[in-house]
Amino acid sequence: MRAWILIRLAVRGLGRNARRSALTAAAMVIGLALLVFSRALSDGGHEQWIDSAVRMSSGHVAVQAPGYLETGKLEHRIEAATLAGVVDAIQSMPADPGVHAWAPRLTVDGLASSAASALPVLVQGVDPVREARFSLVTERLVEGRYLEPGDRLHAFIGIELARRLELEVGNRFVLTAQTASGEIEGQLVRVAGVFRTAVLELDEGLVHIPLETARQWLGTPGAATTVAVLLDSSLETESTTASLREALESEPGVRVLGWREASPDLDSAVRIDDYGDYLFHGILFAIIALAILNAVMISVLGRRREFGILQAMGLTGHETGFVVFLEGLMLTAVSGVVGMVLGLVFTWAFFRDGLDFSAFIESEMSFSGSVIDPVIVPLFHFRQIVVSVWSIAIVGTLASLYPALRASRLDPAEAMKFEQ
Amino acid sequence: MSEIAVRTDDVWKIYPQEPFPVEAVRGLTLTIESGDFVAMAGPSGSGKTTVLNLLGGLTDATRGRIWIGDRELTGMSGKERARLRLERIGFVFQAYNLLPVLTALENAEFTLLLRGVPAAERHAKVLELFHEIGLEGLADRHPGKLSGGQQQRVAVARAVVGDPALVLADEPTANLDSGTSASLLDTMERLNREHGTTFVFSTHDPRVMERARRLITLVDGRIEADDRRAPARA
Repeated sequence: MRAWILIRLAVRGLGRNARRSALTAAAMVIGLALLVFSRALSDGGHEQWIDSAVRMSSGHVAVQAPGYLETGKLEHRIEAATLAGVVDAIQSMPADPGVHAWAPRLTVDGLASSAASALPVLVQGVDPVREARFSLVTERLVEGRYLEPGDRLHAFIGIELARRLELEVGNRFVLTAQTASGEIEGQLVRVAGVFRTAVLELDEGLVHIPLETARQWLGTPGAATTVAVLLDSSLETESTTASLREALESEPGVRVLGWREASPDLDSAVRIDDYGDYLFHGILFAIIALAILNAVMISVLGRRREFGILQAMGLTGHETGFVVFLEGLMLTAVSGVVGMVLGLVFTWAFFRDGLDFSAFIESEMSFSGSVIDPVIVPLFHFRQIVVSVWSIAIVGTLASLYPALRASRLDPAEAMKFEQ
Repeated sequence: MSEIAVRTDDVWKIYPQEPFPVEAVRGLTLTIESGDFVAMAGPSGSGKTTVLNLLGGLTDATRGRIWIGDRELTGMSGKERARLRLERIGFVFQAYNLLPVLTALENAEFTLLLRGVPAAERHAKVLELFHEIGLEGLADRHPGKLSGGQQQRVAVARAVVGDPALVLADEPTANLDSGTSASLLDTMERLNREHGTTFVFSTHDPRVMERARRLITLVDGRIEADDRRAPARA
């Protein structure tokens, strides 16, 4: 009963100071809408980084032989019999949402030589059909074509490699690498197509050749060094990694890695950017907290007489403080909901197709092996929204506590001396 | 023998100010009987308001003991004092001190609301009282829409509606013209007479002093005179 009276008093208090309440609420609403927008943009940007990076490397989830990540040596490979089990496990994973594509690869460090020059390269034997669905490099064709089923002595190379080796589509060059038996052997291939990703390491150092050609050349029939798995969303990485680990528990010859383990540089970049965001959001939360604290505190100082009267009428100090606390909470709750909704609607209405930063950044900017797309598409994570709601609730609660404490400790006789 | 409404024993109130502490009340020993109509007079700074605040449990005595009825106020927790104020004490202030966010009816019924009295009973009681003291038709007005006299009547209604044992009124006529003051005093006298409510006023107003059945004069925080007499107009 008394709680209901305190709620009524809090509502009336907010209503009586409608202008001040509205101004505070407006500051909070704008702050929260900005927070939602900024978080959605940041998450969208990260998802693009991750998507770009994993599609040019070993996917969201990589299945490899133990030791391959550390050494990159052919001796740490998945043999044919084990590979069949890995493929079965991947194919048993959920597809929608879940596994978007997967591709086996046989990768080795080698040397690409032409009459003009020689350069160290990463040679990847790939399944052309699976790779076309998976890899971003296949979409970055600038000349010729990508590999096709039935190709045998064809290669798909980066534009910088082509320039430095003075190669054009149709030209031949030699790849040299250490085979499984430890011998150094060469493989003659012909340029089928040229790509440009804007990531120099790839444009200058990546060569795709047919998987079967690589297996024969390197003496590893049916084997692969990595089975790269691309998911519909990076958010599914942890659950898919865990499921695959469970499915492949009986296979000692394989290790399942999420992209954070397989691409530690990208992981660090995303984490550093996240810390920057947290700092920005922390500042935003501090501003919101100060707005609440300021509004509620001014309200308390301006209504000392009123709180004194309440106590003279029979309210306890704690109950008086609770009225003030409720006012702060109500202001936070209403502003929180409106701010969240406004942020979501604003972001969705104006930027669902992406925010174009091409005027500010180069169109082909790369970072940590990832191509930065100048158009960032916002992404709403339910988890982020829940975290934001909780954060605002905590900020509002904390910011309302001090004024409530002040109100609860008022001396009613002294408080009633003050003019309203 | 009459029941005791208020009793104090050597009560002091000292404000710890720099450079010297201020002794607002010095050794107040006093007994007020139930149903009395008492005025406390004295010059500004004589401690009248402080005495009322002490009797109402709105401020702590530095030393000494205070009883309201049979319950000792000194030594009570804040919660116990709030409970005592709610159940036994009504206040009327010089500046009316109505809650601006509530209507006249809501202000007057506030103590009943806190006591958990059902809405219908509260409204009936307040409206009857409003009728009795000339506030008909003003129940839904907020304090800002009422004259000073009307606001003070609402404050009186709020003080007496819960049938408290004691009403403490701090210069209740100070902001009112003579006609309104006389009318308000009539109202309080009638409530005192008909309901047996004990009234203790602090006042500068000779008209209040004339009506009091007991006049206590305070000077420098001490009782200088305590005059029990028949009021000029009963």
